[in-house]
Amino acid sequence: MTTPANRILASIPSRDFERLKPQLFPVLLKFGQVLYEPGKAIQQVYFPLSCLVSLLTAVDKRRTLEVGMVGNEGMAGMPFILGIGVSGVRALVQGGGNALRMSAKAFRLEFDRTPALQQALYRYTYALMAQISQTAACNRFHDAEERLARWLLMTADRVGRDEFPVTHEFLAHMLGLRRVGVTEAASTLKRRKLIDYQRGKLKIIDKARLKRASCNCYQIVNTVFARAQSQRQDGRSA
Amino acid sequence: MTQSSSEASRLHKASVTDARVAMLQSPATAGPLQNYLLAALPAAEIERLSVDLEPVTLALGEVLYEPGGRQQHAYFPTRSIISLHYVMENGAAAEIAGVGNEGMLGVSLIMGGNSTPSRAVVQTAGEAYRLPVRCLLEEFNRGGPLLRLLLRYSQALLTQMAQTAACNRHHSVAQQLSRWLLLTLDRMPSNDLVMTQELIAGMLGVRRESVTEAAGALKQVGVISYRRGHISVLDRAGLHDHVCECYAVVKNEFDRLLRDARHH
Repeated sequence: MTTPANRILASIPSRDFERLKPQLFPVLLKFGQVLYEPGKAIQQVYFPLSCLVSLLTAVDKRRTLEVGMVGNEGMAGMPFILGIGVSGVRALVQGGGNALRMSAKAFRLEFDRTPALQQALYRYTYALMAQISQTAACNRFHDAEERLARWLLMTADRVGRDEFPVTHEFLAHMLGLRRVGVTEAASTLKRRKLIDYQRGKLKIIDKARLKRASCNCYQIVNTVFARAQSQRQDGRSA
Repeated sequence: MTQSSSEASRLHKASVTDARVAMLQSPATAGPLQNYLLAALPAAEIERLSVDLEPVTLALGEVLYEPGGRQQHAYFPTRSIISLHYVMENGAAAEIAGVGNEGMLGVSLIMGGNSTPSRAVVQTAGEAYRLPVRCLLEEFNRGGPLLRLLLRYSQALLTQMAQTAACNRHHSVAQQLSRWLLLTLDRMPSNDLVMTQELIAGMLGVRRESVTEAAGALKQVGVISYRRGHISVLDRAGLHDHVCECYAVVKNEFDRLLRDARHH
């Protein structure tokens, strides 16, 4: 674990990372596991390595909408960066995989005394804010097919593979659609041979064309994260 | 500006500070303390800041930030409301959050983003105080109470954004309109808004006809009345009957922020 696959941790000076290391515990997060509930205290923060965490806002106790995604570019438990101990959203493991877990208490201590970590996480917060805003716009104005394509691309980028388990019901919760809307959009993408879908497993078969089928919200969010990351590198070399 | 001339201007400004602070805090004017974030700061902090806080009057429809643009100022509304819009490439836009006397426009600047991802438009004309970005960053890097307050405010703003997104997706235009009216009234001293249905349609990202329909229904039950360019809320409690939970979620988040701020 000399160069962590989590990009926040990879961006801080190695002496800072060495200090954090003994407090980071590798965990395997399972698909469907809930890390935070709205209004509940945050006990742990997570740095995803190969898992993907979905940030969901629920209304009327059943309908939800994914407002953001946290993969190995970020950290789950963001309110803690901002000095708040409770979550505003539900954080659900959407792609099972590895993460590094740190107790919120230990994190607070390290965060307060590590300017490089603060800087990296503030920039990340900015990028996440932009992602939330872009996702909101996308959900508002783009059609189901474009949104599904965007979601699949974002997911694939963050889990680092092109095949993952999903159900239509799950996608409906993520995209704020009715299940029939998901089924329609998925069949169109399947018919155009951009994806394949069998027995709860979805596979991207033509990524280049899937990108063209997606709205450019995918590209916009990517650019924001890339920019936040490159500024981070600059800050480090300065 | 060189270091020494900036220092000189600072000293010059400092000499007028006391008088200005007293003036700004007078209840007759919209002093900076009418902004809850500024009001939550210790006296020494607000005194230092007041040197650089400049009172401005914002006009309805004025665009303060364009997405991707470099910003010069952060804004603390006292009697104005600023709306954050996301803008699509085809020009379609809708409100993602509002910033009134409970907040500050420009949190993305403190996160090191340099630019802001959304457009900021004045939704309700009125007074605000603006602070040069340079001063904001100095304060932020100082790591004092303003830093902690603004970080906490960022979280409340994020909750508002997420809730607005879910509300837009799942709730009726009448519910969204009620939410929007209540959040606006909370930031205003009066029950009368200068607002057209067209502007509301722009905020909610829906067609004008949908707003007319929703507003017509609220008018029929005597909750609001409107004439050209004005909306009056006649029965605030009645509005609560039509609103979705999203209003309470956002309101509770800001209430908690300010409650905690007073304890720090």
